[in-house]
Amino acid sequence: MRPGFLTLEPLRLVTATALVKAYGAGRAARRVLDGADIHIDAGELVALVGPSGCGKSTLLHLLGGLDRPDEGSIELGGRRLERESERGLTELRRSHVGFVFQFFHLIPELTGEENVLLPGRLRTNGGGAPARARALIESLGLAEAAARRPAQLSGGEQQRLSIARALVNDPRLLLADEPTGNLDEESGLHVLDLLRQVAGGDRGVLLVTHDAEAARIADRVLRLEHGRLVE
Amino acid sequence: MRLPGGPLASVRRLRARPGRSLVAALGIAAAAAMLGTALTVGYGLHTGFDRAADRADLPDVIARFDNQPVGRVESRLRALPDLQATAYRQEYTSVPIFTGRRQTGNGIVQVVGPGRRGYAIVAGRDVRGPRDTVVERGLARSWHVRVGQELGVGQGRLRVVGIAVSPDNVAFPLAKGPRVYVDRSALGPGFVAHPRTNLALIWLNDPSQLAPVLTQARAASFGVGGLTFLTRSGVRTTIDQAAGIVIALLVAFSVIALASAGVMLAASASADVQRRLQGIGVARALGFSPGSVAAQYALDSTVLALPAGMVGIAAGALVSYGSSSRLLESINELPPGAALLGPLALGLVAVIALVAAASAWPAWRAARRPVVAVLRGGDVAPAVRTSRLPAGFVGLGMRLAATRRRRMLATVAVLGVSGGVVLTMLAMAHLLDRLQHDPGLVGKRYQLTVDLPPSRARAVARIPGVAAAAPRYVTFAADSFQLGEGLKVVAYPGDHTPFEAPPLAAGRRVRSPGEAEVGTGVADALGVEPGAELALELPTGREVRFRVVGLVRAFDNDGRVIYTQPPRLLAADPSLSGPIAVKLADGANQAAVERRLRRLGAPPPQPATTATTRNAGFLGVLAALLRAVALVDGIVCLYILVQALALTARERRSTIAVLRASGAGGREVRLVLLGAALVAVLGAAPLAVAVELLVFAPAVSRLAASYVSLPLGVQIWQVAIVVLGMLVLAAAAAALAARQLGRERVVAGLRSD
Repeated sequence: MRPGFLTLEPLRLVTATALVKAYGAGRAARRVLDGADIHIDAGELVALVGPSGCGKSTLLHLLGGLDRPDEGSIELGGRRLERESERGLTELRRSHVGFVFQFFHLIPELTGEENVLLPGRLRTNGGGAPARARALIESLGLAEAAARRPAQLSGGEQQRLSIARALVNDPRLLLADEPTGNLDEESGLHVLDLLRQVAGGDRGVLLVTHDAEAARIADRVLRLEHGRLVE
Repeated sequence: MRLPGGPLASVRRLRARPGRSLVAALGIAAAAAMLGTALTVGYGLHTGFDRAADRADLPDVIARFDNQPVGRVESRLRALPDLQATAYRQEYTSVPIFTGRRQTGNGIVQVVGPGRRGYAIVAGRDVRGPRDTVVERGLARSWHVRVGQELGVGQGRLRVVGIAVSPDNVAFPLAKGPRVYVDRSALGPGFVAHPRTNLALIWLNDPSQLAPVLTQARAASFGVGGLTFLTRSGVRTTIDQAAGIVIALLVAFSVIALASAGVMLAASASADVQRRLQGIGVARALGFSPGSVAAQYALDSTVLALPAGMVGIAAGALVSYGSSSRLLESINELPPGAALLGPLALGLVAVIALVAAASAWPAWRAARRPVVAVLRGGDVAPAVRTSRLPAGFVGLGMRLAATRRRRMLATVAVLGVSGGVVLTMLAMAHLLDRLQHDPGLVGKRYQLTVDLPPSRARAVARIPGVAAAAPRYVTFAADSFQLGEGLKVVAYPGDHTPFEAPPLAAGRRVRSPGEAEVGTGVADALGVEPGAELALELPTGREVRFRVVGLVRAFDNDGRVIYTQPPRLLAADPSLSGPIAVKLADGANQAAVERRLRRLGAPPPQPATTATTRNAGFLGVLAALLRAVALVDGIVCLYILVQALALTARERRSTIAVLRASGAGGREVRLVLLGAALVAVLGAAPLAVAVELLVFAPAVSRLAASYVSLPLGVQIWQVAIVVLGMLVLAAAAAALAARQLGRERVVAGLRSD
């Protein structure tokens, strides 16, 4: 892009090209990703669907820098993940990515608020995290739940807290792995609604799901078939 | 249903998880190293005397008497019942012995005749001709004398043909004078033709008949003056006492180390089972019996414990063998050599058995629980009240650790006991250092002695900065030990406690010239107690008598010391003199006092002497040994912490993985683990101090010796060192465990649920 020209395209948060990831070795090796391409722009919610074991979570982990592809390239925050050291990946996760998991993974010894605040204690996040955490808790209607421990909360409350935790460092990219997979229908709708709200402005969301409702609220739905993504 | 496979299947299982197997093996090796150290030190010291006595063919009785013709003594001894053999020596004391660079006037020359020797040749050969000499090993070591070298003995020069060990005395320089052996022919044909003797070695057919033999020997000794008997058990007691406080301390340590190693092995094996709870659950779900599961764990542990235990025991033995051998040599005993292999092998068997049992038992218990509960394993953390702990990553680590209360208590207990052992070792090593440098430890309250006549004591006392001054008369009275060491008699005019105040164990202090306080070493040796009458023979040959009024725990002269007032001593020996002991006032300038003393015409004042033995090197070896043991124990503490952290990390994989997914790097993971380690360390530190003060120090003091009072209480700086050391260990353990975690893929942790 030449300087001086107006940019009208949305901000591209992550771009992955020709991703290959195989599990196992030799004749038992299985390529779950076989030349997959994907991009996510700011402001969009992308749903990723496909049968169990087709590699949806693997792709999510690769995009978030939790794992490395066997082949292909991923660009996140202007940096190529395959060239980054483990320390570099950690720093990218800290500043650019938030994760939401199917099983919430809240820490049982901490209260809801402490769980939300924990990533905010990481060194490079400035001093705004506590205020942002409180604002998130308020805006998600979790003020009462935040004072309790996870064991005392419903699944929906736990998942909303885990979304607040993922957002506390204000990441551009939110990666959600089956966030409604462990919730009843009503709680699931609540969470989807929340994710829809999150995907806006300069933030994008990739949602791995089996949930048909989730696919309906998405801006784009991608299907993973035979290791490749089709729209 | 039984689980398939034998040892080879166990090897495959262990190789399938190399990291964990290595950590478990390291733990077993560390505990086995402690066991190896304890066995080497304990076995070596416990059996050292018997080993040396057997090798040297030490006689059952050593009789000393005035010079006699050999034939006369022999005819008397032949009449004794149950006699197996005799040998005769002529002993000369205070003989000059010298090499090119060293000399002493305290040499002991023993002229040996035909027959059994009573010493073991450990290098070279025995004496054969008039120019030959065999030297004791202590002399060879301390003066670097080698076989083939020339040695000055008396007025002549002899060739050293051999080096000998005889455990009837401690070794030079722990003993006052070095001992050499020469053949009768060295004293000329006249002596060969008409040999004389003042020392007889007696071997019996049945040593249990010793008492009647001695009774008969006394009855048959008419006309033989100065007769004393030293039995084999008497030699043993005396040498143990002469070796000071340390042998029993080290044996006590061995017992403590054994207990620590056992607890550690059990904790380690139990932790490994805890890690593999899910595997147990799966095996049970598939229908395998609890017995089969337990047997598999026992076999896996055995396969792991065999090489790890061998390495650990060998390492422990190698680390401590040198120091304990030097200790044994200084008391004329022999290191165990190949004989140690048996106990070490037994130790290895014990390690394997303990590890197998410690693995099988929790596996058996786990396998008998409902399968669902076992499958859930340790990954479900119960909600406990930990909100009072600090926030942040360190606080999170503390909460994670505090969740597992039982395990944390077990870790704190093992760590606390280990810390207590380290504190005890440091306290003992410090005590040995102080024996060399701190006069206060041996009950001396004066700082200087100055060589002036007793009549100048008042002038000295008037010097500014001097709190008190008095003549300190010292003499050595005859004793029954014949170790070249007499009973030390110390006398001050009036009250001696301002100058020397060893703790009073029984009775009271001296109040009049006819009274005496005796060290417990004297009391043990002579069987005296308060109220008894003590008769002493002074070097002048005059006898003095005192009424024993008190029993004191004195380090000085290994407790063979007597405190009294001078009039009776001076009456028996008017030439008796001594320096003036000078006690400085608090805050006095010692240099200024020394200058004023020199102005009185005194030679340079001497600092108060301290060591209970003459050999500072001996104490140094012991202190080094104790510090080495403390170091080994420190490594064990590190292992315990790493093990506890690894277990916490294993259980909380998903928590750590979520943190890492959120952008937590190595630093934050280390902080979390540091927090978990801190909970253990902060609990263990006060426990270590309490265990040392309330259990180990009193127990070791009691075990150490009856003739001294051991101030084994810990100092603040020692506690600080141990606490700081534990914190450093916590940081190191956190770094090690975090490094291990850093190698694991984040995704693997996220999938652990």
